[in-house]
Amino acid sequence: MSLLHLYLQDFRLFVAARFDPDPVGTTVITGPNGTGKTTLLEAVAYLGTQRSFRGAPREAMIRAGGERAVIRAELVRDGLPLLVEAELAAVGKSRAQVNRQAVRTRRDLADAVPVTIFSPEDLGIVQGGPARRRDLLDDALRMLDPKAGAVLDEVERVLRQRAALLRQAGGHLRPDVASTLEVWDDRLADAGGALAEARQNLTEDLEPRVVESYRILAGAGPAVSSVADATSVGVTYRRGWDGPLAVALSAARADDLRRAVSTVGPHRDDLDLELGGRDARVQASQGEQRCLALALRLAVHRLATERLGAAPILLLDDVFSELDPDRSRALVHELPPGQTLLTTAVPLPDGVSVATVFDVRSITGGQQNPRPL
Amino acid sequence: MYTPPLRALIDELGRLPGIGPKSAQRIAFHLLKVPIEDALRLSDAIVSVKERTTLCARCFNVAEGGELCDVCADDRREATTLCVVEDPRDIVAVERTQQFRGRYHALQGALNPLEGIGPEQLRIKELLVRIEEEGITEVILCTNPNLEGEATAMYLARLLNPFGVTVTRIASGLPVGGDLEYADELTLGRALEGRRLVEP
Ligand SMILES: [Zn+2]
Repeated sequence: MSLLHLYLQDFRLFVAARFDPDPVGTTVITGPNGTGKTTLLEAVAYLGTQRSFRGAPREAMIRAGGERAVIRAELVRDGLPLLVEAELAAVGKSRAQVNRQAVRTRRDLADAVPVTIFSPEDLGIVQGGPARRRDLLDDALRMLDPKAGAVLDEVERVLRQRAALLRQAGGHLRPDVASTLEVWDDRLADAGGALAEARQNLTEDLEPRVVESYRILAGAGPAVSSVADATSVGVTYRRGWDGPLAVALSAARADDLRRAVSTVGPHRDDLDLELGGRDARVQASQGEQRCLALALRLAVHRLATERLGAAPILLLDDVFSELDPDRSRALVHELPPGQTLLTTAVPLPDGVSVATVFDVRSITGGQQNPRPL
Repeated sequence: MYTPPLRALIDELGRLPGIGPKSAQRIAFHLLKVPIEDALRLSDAIVSVKERTTLCARCFNVAEGGELCDVCADDRREATTLCVVEDPRDIVAVERTQQFRGRYHALQGALNPLEGIGPEQLRIKELLVRIEEEGITEVILCTNPNLEGEATAMYLARLLNPFGVTVTRIASGLPVGGDLEYADELTLGRALEGRRLVEP
């Protein structure tokens, strides 16, 4: 997997720009803040995940005044050229193509452009709400398991349909609502049960890798806290229901109707994270949380490298400024070799051999005067 | 930037399915260049299809001037097998396979709460009436192989259960998430042939 050329059009501050990273090694993207370093990574990551890793809404990625943004990437995969294009629309549908064929689902893109992102915001995986942790699992599933990716798309769609139906019902279980709700619940029970199982299996595959990665990262450099030695890292997928989902859905029906939301399902599940037997979300130090977030990312990246036979494109956004030098070195040491794009505000740790340095101003000319293609 | 008539044409074209602002602009400028006869032929075709084409009173396929559609009017078609589709354009797709000799019922859509479409908005009551009146013995559920189509098929299967008719669903193997109209004849033909009994 190798990204050869990236073309951007009306993407954030880029009017029209081209970026050619080193096809196999590490490309360091430099430039003052606000010139678009992270935006380049954001564009590559969008192709793989269909969202901004900075948590920005789609409209925010479209250049002010533009109707739509275009990201086009030329890649090589298993020796074959791959052309991936995404169009982000301010209004209406956003579209994507792989080799000029329209793709219908996010998984097709995740499959075409596998990416791993490390960023300072990853701390939110541990500190933030359950959605951040489900996203981590779901992004990994889309990349690793096309079947699970299809299930994810179906769950999302059923939930939206079900929510619309619940809103229309206005709290009353009229016969026509009841009969159609049953049909959507059947689909949700099937797809939702399958999704929970896929996430659970993934979690079981990840756990030993998280434990190992955490040991290495936390062990490097100064102790993250007094309990760091007593680390038993626990990663457990937690469903919000017991027994078959179909039964839980019908039990929750009255509640769902009254509140006009789906109160049960995989969209309410969580990933429990423990350090030394305590809830890492609230009872760990920030240093521990940061190590655990990195360990989770690293675990997914290593699992993906094993399963896909090659490392996903690695995007490191200003990761080293949050880590002490020893941990930075440990992280770099643990990363499997592969194409890497990174931005940094601090000197790079040893062990990173830089193939290319790319000044982002060479394609934006600073913010005001972007150079056209 | 545009004259008002040109603006109006671009706006109208842009409202058509599959035509974005760029294409609408391209078509509009193309129409500006063509001879007036060509433009009139196009506008006549649009007007006459609206004036003369109606939906078949029995199956809701397209028909001409309030008559039954070609399929319903054809005595050689098997009268006891019904193929239920979402749209008249799906009838075209199934006809192209030459695998089906029965009649049709076009629901005029699929269950889709997001678009405000429930059972009431579809021609489901009419379907149930036909089952009894026409002595239907098999209903083939040929809705699209996507979430809404599957949900509609499941809904109908349950509804049809008390009628004692054989209810079948076209085989999977069609691209999931797709539309019938994009399936090639061979694939759709095989899906029809391989249809399975639905257990409600
Ligand atoms: Zn007819």
